[in-house]
Amino acid sequence: MIDALLLDCEQAEGGVHLLMTRPDLGARLDVVPHYDLERTELGRYRGLLVGLHADQRYLAASRPQLEAFLAGGGTIVFCGHVAHPFLAELAPYRPIEGYKAADLVVARVAEHPVWAGVDPADLTWRRGVAGFYGRGGNPPPPGATVVHTLGPRAVPVDFVCRPAVGGRLLVHAGADLWGYLETDGTAARMAPQLLDWLRAGPEAEEAGR
Amino acid sequence: MTVAVLDGGAYYHHETIHGARFRDRFDRAIYARDLEAGDLDGVAALIVADRILPPVLRRKRRLLLGFLDRGGTLIVLGENRAHEWLPGVAWSFRPTNFWWWLEEGADPGHRIAAPEHEIFRHVRPADVVWHFHGLFAPPEGAEPLAVIAPEGDPEGRGGAILYDHRGVAGGRGRLVVSSLDPFYHHGSHFMPAASRFLDGLLGWTDATFRR
Repeated sequence: MIDALLLDCEQAEGGVHLLMTRPDLGARLDVVPHYDLERTELGRYRGLLVGLHADQRYLAASRPQLEAFLAGGGTIVFCGHVAHPFLAELAPYRPIEGYKAADLVVARVAEHPVWAGVDPADLTWRRGVAGFYGRGGNPPPPGATVVHTLGPRAVPVDFVCRPAVGGRLLVHAGADLWGYLETDGTAARMAPQLLDWLRAGPEAEEAGR
Repeated sequence: MTVAVLDGGAYYHHETIHGARFRDRFDRAIYARDLEAGDLDGVAALIVADRILPPVLRRKRRLLLGFLDRGGTLIVLGENRAHEWLPGVAWSFRPTNFWWWLEEGADPGHRIAAPEHEIFRHVRPADVVWHFHGLFAPPEGAEPLAVIAPEGDPEGRGGAILYDHRGVAGGRGRLVVSSLDPFYHHGSHFMPAASRFLDGLLGWTDATFRR
C-alpha cells in the first residue's frame, strides 16, 4: 500500500512540488492529474489528498468512487472551503463575517497526531499576520472531533470524523496543510505527520481508544 | 449583449460567481468542463476566471479560439497558463511576494501604463497594487495597461500584469490578459484589494459589453 494519492491541480506554487520532490515525503505518495481520479485504482492507497484548488463539481460527480474508497477503509483529507458537498459529512463553508485578527486566533480543542508538536501560534501568525490558516469553517457533522477552532466564537477550522460509509475524513477549512513545508516554526511538521497518520490507519486509532 | 463567465468548479469560483456581491454582473455562468459549441452564441465577452485547471482550458481551446475568431472578447485572468493555449501570450514565472506590504514605504513597482484606457474609468489604479503571479511580455499590437517596473521585478526586467490586445493574431477578436487572480482571493474572503479590482473590472465589462 502507498501512503497517499494527491490530485494535482497544476498550480505554480502552493507546496505540491516541494512535497513530491522531497525524498522522505515524495517517496510516500503518488501525484496524478486531478481528472485522472476516475481512472485511478484507489485501493492501492491509504489516503487521498484533495487540496483547495480542486474542482468540487467533479468531486461531487465522483462521489460513488470516493465513498467506495472510504468503505474500503481509506482516508480522505480535504483542505479548502466546501462549496459543493461531495461527501455526506461535508456542508458548505461558513466565513467569519467582518473578521478581526482576534477572530482568527487558532485554539486547539483536541489533540491529534497530525498536529502533534505544532504550536497553534505558528498556525495563527505568519510574519505577524493572522488569517492564513483559516477565516471560517466547514461545519462538522454530528459526532466529529473538532481539533482546532478560530477566535472567541470557536469556529471549527479542523475536524476529523468517521464517515457513515466507513474510513476516515479529515477536513481543514483553509489552504493545503502540505503547503507549510517551507514555513518557519512548527507548522512544517504537519505534512510528514499527515503521511504518518495515513500510514498508521484507522486500526491504530481503534487500538488507542 | 451579454457577459459570460467560465466556472472552474473550485470553491472560490462558486463564491465569486454566485455570491451576493458579484452575482448580478454575469449574464451566464458556464462550468468549464461542460463548455460546448453554441454555448457562447450571443456572448460579447467571456471572462475566464483565474485558476481554472489548465487541462480543461487546453481541452476547450478549440471553442475558446473559435469565440475569438468570431470577434469575441476573451478576458483571461491569472494562473490559467494562457501562454499554452492563446495566441501571442508570453508569460514568465516570478515567485510570489505576498509580503511586500509589510515593508514600510516599499514600492512594489506597479505602474499604470495607459491611464487614458477605458478600463481605468472603472478600475482604480490603487486596486491593481497587490501581489502578482508572473509577468507578461505583451506582443506587437497589444497595449500594456498595468505593468511592473523593473525595480519591482525580482529579475529586474519588468513586464505587464494587465494588457489589451485588439485584433489579436490579425483577427477580429480581442484578448484582455492579466496575471492577477481576483476570483481566488475574493472567493477566499481574503484581500479586499482583489475584490475592489474585480469590482472595477466588472464595472468595465458592464459598461462595455452589457449595453
